[in-house]
Amino acid sequence: MTSSLAELRHHLPVETYVAGLVVVTWAVLAAVSPYFWTSDNVTNILRQVSIAAIVAFGELFTIILAGIDLSVGSVAGLTGIAFAMLLSNGAPIVAALFLALALGLVIGAVNALASDRLGIPPFIVTLAGLQAFRGLALLLSGGMTIAGIPDPVSEVANASAFHVPTLFIIMCVIGLGSHVMLRYTRLGRYMYAIGSNIESARRVGINVTVVTLAAYSLSAVFAAIGGMLLVSRLSMGTPTAATGYELEAIAAVVVGGGSLFGGRGTILGCFIGALLFTTIGNGANLLGVDPFWEMVVEGVLIAVVVYIDNIQKRRHTGL
Amino acid sequence: MKGKLLLGTAALAALSAASTGAQAADFSNARIEVIVKASTSQYWATVFDGARAAAKALGVKIDTLGAPAETDVAQEVTITENAIAKHPTAIVIAATNAVALAAPIEKATAAGIPVIMIDSSAQTDKYVTFLATNNVTGGQKAADEIAGCVKARTGKAAGSVAYLTALAGAQSLNDRDKGFVDELKKYPDMKIVDHRVGNNDASKALSDSEDILTKGPDIVGIFADNELEGDGAGTALNEKGKASKVCLVSFDTSSQELSFLHSGVIDGLIVQDPYMMGYAGVWYALEAAHGAVLPKYVDSGVHVVTKANIDSPTMAGLLDPSKYKLGPFLGM
Repeated sequence: MTSSLAELRHHLPVETYVAGLVVVTWAVLAAVSPYFWTSDNVTNILRQVSIAAIVAFGELFTIILAGIDLSVGSVAGLTGIAFAMLLSNGAPIVAALFLALALGLVIGAVNALASDRLGIPPFIVTLAGLQAFRGLALLLSGGMTIAGIPDPVSEVANASAFHVPTLFIIMCVIGLGSHVMLRYTRLGRYMYAIGSNIESARRVGINVTVVTLAAYSLSAVFAAIGGMLLVSRLSMGTPTAATGYELEAIAAVVVGGGSLFGGRGTILGCFIGALLFTTIGNGANLLGVDPFWEMVVEGVLIAVVVYIDNIQKRRHTGL
Repeated sequence: MKGKLLLGTAALAALSAASTGAQAADFSNARIEVIVKASTSQYWATVFDGARAAAKALGVKIDTLGAPAETDVAQEVTITENAIAKHPTAIVIAATNAVALAAPIEKATAAGIPVIMIDSSAQTDKYVTFLATNNVTGGQKAADEIAGCVKARTGKAAGSVAYLTALAGAQSLNDRDKGFVDELKKYPDMKIVDHRVGNNDASKALSDSEDILTKGPDIVGIFADNELEGDGAGTALNEKGKASKVCLVSFDTSSQELSFLHSGVIDGLIVQDPYMMGYAGVWYALEAAHGAVLPKYVDSGVHVVTKANIDSPTMAGLLDPSKYKLGPFLGM
């Protein structure tokens, strides 16, 4: 009996631990704070997690490839500013939307080609992007916040359908699409294959360049969507918006079972990871915990979860 | 208005000192470095506007410098060290961090470059003059404004209040918060129940404000101590439909904050005079370089803008630098 339980424990994916941790955190917060388990607060959490999760979904593709995208925060900032400036200068909403998405696509393609074709490590390529795209956002806006966002755009992120915030619905749609892509399409399976062993993936004839292009483009496009949703939510564009989102996204992916060595990670895990961090932030606010402790707790969590994951992996491989 | 008067007389005295020191007023070789905390906010852009206007009036050259974000302390230290290496006529600087910027400022003074501190000071006495908003006064005015607003709505100044700090460790923000907290004690029925520290990020301020309102459904007032916190808190009140229940008072004047003021989401804006800081900063810098003796501290003034007084000429000038009318002592 105990051995089969232990057996089961060994085979549970790391998402289970994190999901368990989220449930425990929710239960504790619901017990301690009378305001936590209210429809108002749950709505808040769903809103607060959505943008971070969308950016993290994009990050996941690059991490599955054993790559990384450090530029997502800056890309969100830059596309957000471009979107806000187009809108405030009277561009039609649909045109501004597609131009911002196209900007994301181009940035992703540049990231992918620089790392795949020029052989610069993705860490360096996207680190350069982290600096350069933030600089462009500041240049473009002259360092100013951009107001004059038309009402229909502001309403997107602040509306609800059947008491579910639109932001969360958008996140679910993107998450579901990404999940299906990773799990059931050839492109998704190729991503895991390349991340597990790029040489053997090449030998069986997978076009690594195309898959890399897809992963980094999706990462940048998701960041662009995140950037536009931030503009919608705040009714303004800020050139410094989404600063540090790359670290939150990586943390969500890793805590959700993704491996920085590639080949592992799921959309569901990634969402749960993002939810865990949002819950901690929300809980800290409701309990009046010192904001600096919140950062310490988040850091410790990342270390603990990755440690559990490593123990599990060692057991699997018998090391 | 006392601050303005002081500024005028000091400038007048210094001007005469400067003109006896240098016979012909030819400052075309003078170069003044103006270093601000962040090049990313309207506030600092207005400081630059004022500095440029003074530079034009005086016929000097200026460099306008600053890190992209107020959080980037190391970057400001680097910028300041590079500025010293250029041996400018004088340096006008707003210190992001009181401790970190002390050493570079002392280094500049040691190199014979007069330093005029504006807005936020550093922990050193090796400077010529410090020209700033009295942030404690600003915080006090915010507390009085919230108390007045709550009283106007409910009949008495009573209830729970929260405040938002934009960033930990910035002296000017600490002063605002201290002024606010101390002044609010004068209203025995008003109690501070919550305090959050942000990362100078409007979306974090928004989340924090939502959580504050969830936790404290009976909150009657919120004080936001800079523009990004005000943007976030205003958006939260709007989203939750609580604008008519909560009196929001915020520092600064972003375009978002102004539209919140017009729509009644924000009840009062605590407005500094950044244009004057930039203008007088450059002027003082030139005077100091020519040996004028300046007071160690000059108050550049702080005002409360509400929906009622927003169209008055003084406030209009504070909100839109292009409408700024310089006083009789300074309009050259």
